[in-house]
Amino acid sequence: MSKYAFLFIDDGVDYQGTPTPEQQKVYADIFKWFETNGSKITDGGAELQPTRTATTIRKSTGKVTVVDGPFIEAKESVGGFSILELPDKAAAVALAKTWPGYGIEIRPVGDHMEGE
Amino acid sequence: MPQYVLMLLEHEDWVDRQSKEDKERAYASINKWVEDITKKGIMKGGEELQSKRTATTVRRKNGAMSVTEGPFIESKEHVGGFMMIEVPDLDAAIAIAKSWPGGDVEVRPIVVH
Repeated sequence: MSKYAFLFIDDGVDYQGTPTPEQQKVYADIFKWFETNGSKITDGGAELQPTRTATTIRKSTGKVTVVDGPFIEAKESVGGFSILELPDKAAAVALAKTWPGYGIEIRPVGDHMEGE
Repeated sequence: MPQYVLMLLEHEDWVDRQSKEDKERAYASINKWVEDITKKGIMKGGEELQSKRTATTVRRKNGAMSVTEGPFIESKEHVGGFMMIEVPDLDAAIAIAKSWPGGDVEVRPIVVH
């Protein structure tokens, strides 16, 4: 078994704002998805508030600056994450395909120092 | 107390460009920092992700889920890890993010259900 991070991708729908009935159904289906797959989830992670609540701290220039907004302005953004334990990447992809929301970026979890 | 996620950002393949010694030094300061905020009770969990080359993205296209190799967005920066912290307010979260010995950080409040 391996651990995978599921980065839940938003396509700009603000579920915390004024969702349409269709979007509310997706949100309800997402709750059900978490219930159904609860045994595979090792860390529930978090649901993030919309990108308009984001603050980014930059240090790359040698000086620390604080700016409002996400690290990248794009239609798609990270809306949350969870850690799941699954047999392999194929199982992770198969499960991600059942996600009722918009999309998921799957990333194995691990230490960069491993295997060196 | 509110919780915030620190999205730890990595610039391109910074990790790959570092020498083994540089990496060891960076990880040593990161481990010390994590230990420190864990002791203070601020740290509420987190994970380090493997490189963006290992990413697979599944997204809805015309109603069906389609699978592509790579991260959801192609950019110089990508999410390298997450950390959840519990602090009184956004200013305190920003202060923690500033003290992070790694690279840039995006701070986002967590939805409370």
